Amino acid sequence: MSALLDLYVQHFKTSLAAMLQYRASLVIWLIGHVLEPLIYLVVWSVVSNTRGGRVGGYTTGEFAAYFIVLMLVNHITYTWIMYEYEYRIRHGSLSFDLLRPVHPIHSDIADNVSSKLISLPGMLLAAVLLALLFRPTFHVVLWAVVAAIPALFLAFLLRFLVEWTLALAAFWTTRVSAINQMYFVALLFLSGQVAPLSLLPSPIQAVATALPFRWMVSFPVELLLGRLTPAKAMAGLAAQAVWVVLGLGLVKIVWRAGVRAYSAVGG
Amino acid sequence: MGISLPDSPIIHIHDLHKTYVVSEREAGIRAALQSLVHRRTERIKAVDGISFDLSGGEIVGFLGPNGAGKTTTLKMLSGLLHPTAGEVTVLGHVPWKREKPFLRKITLVMGQRNQLIWDIPVIDSFELNRAVYRIQASDYRRTLDELTQLLELGPLLRKPVRNLSLGERMKCEIAAALLHLPQVVFLDEPTIGLDVIMQRRIRGFIAEYNRRSGATVLLTSHYMADVEALCRRVVVIHLGRLLFDGDLSALVERFTAHKTIVVQLGDCRDDLSSYGEVVSCEEGYVTLRVPKAETARVTERLLADLPVIDLTVEDPPIEEVIERVFAQEAV
Amino acid sequence: MKILRLLWVFFRIGVMGELAYRLNFVVQLFQSLLELATALAGLAVIFAYTDKLGSWRPDEVVALVGVYFLVGGVIGLVIQPSMERFIDSVRQGTLDYTLTKPEDAQLLVSIQGVEIWKLIDIALGFGVLVVALGRLGERVGAWQAAAFAGMLLAGGAIVYSFWLILATCSFWFVRVENILIIFQSMYEAGRWPVSLYPGWLRFGLTFLVPVAFATTVPAEALTGRLNPQVVLGTVGLAAVMLVVSRLFWRAGIRHYSGASA
Repeated sequence: MSALLDLYVQHFKTSLAAMLQYRASLVIWLIGHVLEPLIYLVVWSVVSNTRGGRVGGYTTGEFAAYFIVLMLVNHITYTWIMYEYEYRIRHGSLSFDLLRPVHPIHSDIADNVSSKLISLPGMLLAAVLLALLFRPTFHVVLWAVVAAIPALFLAFLLRFLVEWTLALAAFWTTRVSAINQMYFVALLFLSGQVAPLSLLPSPIQAVATALPFRWMVSFPVELLLGRLTPAKAMAGLAAQAVWVVLGLGLVKIVWRAGVRAYSAVGG
Repeated sequence: MGISLPDSPIIHIHDLHKTYVVSEREAGIRAALQSLVHRRTERIKAVDGISFDLSGGEIVGFLGPNGAGKTTTLKMLSGLLHPTAGEVTVLGHVPWKREKPFLRKITLVMGQRNQLIWDIPVIDSFELNRAVYRIQASDYRRTLDELTQLLELGPLLRKPVRNLSLGERMKCEIAAALLHLPQVVFLDEPTIGLDVIMQRRIRGFIAEYNRRSGATVLLTSHYMADVEALCRRVVVIHLGRLLFDGDLSALVERFTAHKTIVVQLGDCRDDLSSYGEVVSCEEGYVTLRVPKAETARVTERLLADLPVIDLTVEDPPIEEVIERVFAQEAV
Repeated sequence: MKILRLLWVFFRIGVMGELAYRLNFVVQLFQSLLELATALAGLAVIFAYTDKLGSWRPDEVVALVGVYFLVGGVIGLVIQPSMERFIDSVRQGTLDYTLTKPEDAQLLVSIQGVEIWKLIDIALGFGVLVVALGRLGERVGAWQAAAFAGMLLAGGAIVYSFWLILATCSFWFVRVENILIIFQSMYEAGRWPVSLYPGWLRFGLTFLVPVAFATTVPAEALTGRLNPQVVLGTVGLAAVMLVVSRLFWRAGIRHYSGASA
């Protein structure tokens, strides 16, 4: 275990230095990550104001709170790993990773976390600015905020595992962009990025709950906004844990199959 | 503009200078912040006052080590770069003005860079050039046939560029560059990376093209074989300055202070160091290096003193000559 | 005209590179349809709760989505691939070949990349537009149609100039590949009427990154929301931006060829 920790620390140092080189790209990514929730924030505020200040369980102020928190949670949990693996497999640089006696997922996680550390100040600044501009209504429920910490960690882990496994599709096909697109469309609707899940038709809500999407993004947001009862929160954390375990298993299986496929072609 | 009298040079360069201003910066955040306040710059003289002329139909070799200023000069001649000072005219035009009539009469081929489009058949890249250079259909067909025949492009034309070998790609690149029958051809390391046979073929083609079209060719190369085969005249540039401009044989003549004598004896037992510097002895062949002035005398002595089976007098290899020229030593 | 002839040559080349792969067509069609479905599904969610967005009726917003796809398709067809190729050629040094050709370098650089599958997006966008207008039941008058065409052209010119200015930066800065993504990220906002956004965002989407001129303004022309001042203003802006981008381009070339400023 301590060896793993040491590995992470070392990875961390190198990837931090590497990510600093990509500052410009990170800023540009940041713009996209701020703009999307902002657009829906504005649209839903307009809808809400047309209806006298509330839609479903959300007032205009609560919409603002929702999307600002969503923006932060999305930023904490997002990955770009599927583009990374498509590149590595196409250019054969994956071979280097395969020669190492460690699983490549660790350095990938280190890269992901270090890039977020660098862009976090910008993201927090954006959140503060948006809060000043849109006057969100927060209901701070202390236990929920505390519970959100493990929820965020599990959400990050879950989303990383799912998207990492998806990234391995590049082992078997070159049509990765089509697969990615399907995933992102599903993520868009089912993780609550277009609208809070409670505003979507109930069949869709059910699908989102049964699949891991709700647990990747929407659940921590709901927690932080104080919208869940303690019972629901516990159930949610349990669901996250289950999905993470499933995710770990999936990663193992798909990775082994992928390496076999890759080595069969000679890399 | 563009009318040159029969006696005036096709390419005229006079006291040409090109100086780059490069900002110096070290790595790190502190240095980056420092550079915002105080910019440290360095002036690099890529071309430092060169002059020479080319007449119509010449093939001239442009020699120099890396960073000597060859490519910079070529870029100034083709209009890609503005000189810092000096005069340049090519076919009566000022190159950096990039007048369309001028651009239609020249061509540039760069060894390591492709102008052909990667994914499509070669012939379609040719068609693009036809449209860009506004080549008449009949002229295009005739030129294409001739180039296809000379360069053996037949089976290559319908293949996408990415499916060609390096040598095949180079042949097609050269053909694409000549479709509009330019009067001046700039070749920047055209044979780099090619195998010996392909190099020879391309050399042969350039010579043939020059013969048939009378185009003026300025060629830079690392490979002495290119220069020896194609160019009677060489221009040597080093650190931005001209070291030599004239016949290749004159270059050898002027920059060699030594000759090489190869003596065939029965074995390697004898010590011949009293005759000159012994470079090597292998299976009875002794290679001696002697000052040029003493060649005749040493040869006489060798023939008189030793049981010589055979004796030859040679110039040092041209590569060596050039290297020493750059190092400013006499060979 | 010479420009059209050259554009046709590059078009043929773009087709040539792709035609061998019939599967590509199916996959591209699938992806374009999925993107359209996503946009429309988003609209469905919103309009389940209201029957007007700002002053826009649902079918008017659908028309906007149609314009979004249409213009996005045009950008993706020529403008984006050409500018990406140009930035790459500066880095690789193959720009030198373009500069020794006897045609205007800006022209060659602007049409050298053709991504023919974007024709699908253009067709889909146009289809959505026609359906939306049909459902609106409005007759599109001659003035509106002319204003629409004019605003599409002006918007196209403004967007092209913007991309050219961004790409021209690569003459001075080396690591510029990602700069083009700025427009693509902000273009997302063009799926909704720009008038919905707060003033500062509206300003940014109009005068900093000209997304509004690409989608909302032509859609407003089509749905009769524009007054002649805006129309003239947009045309004027398009002319100014074409000139400014041209001048900036020329400055870039001068810098690249080491001309003293």
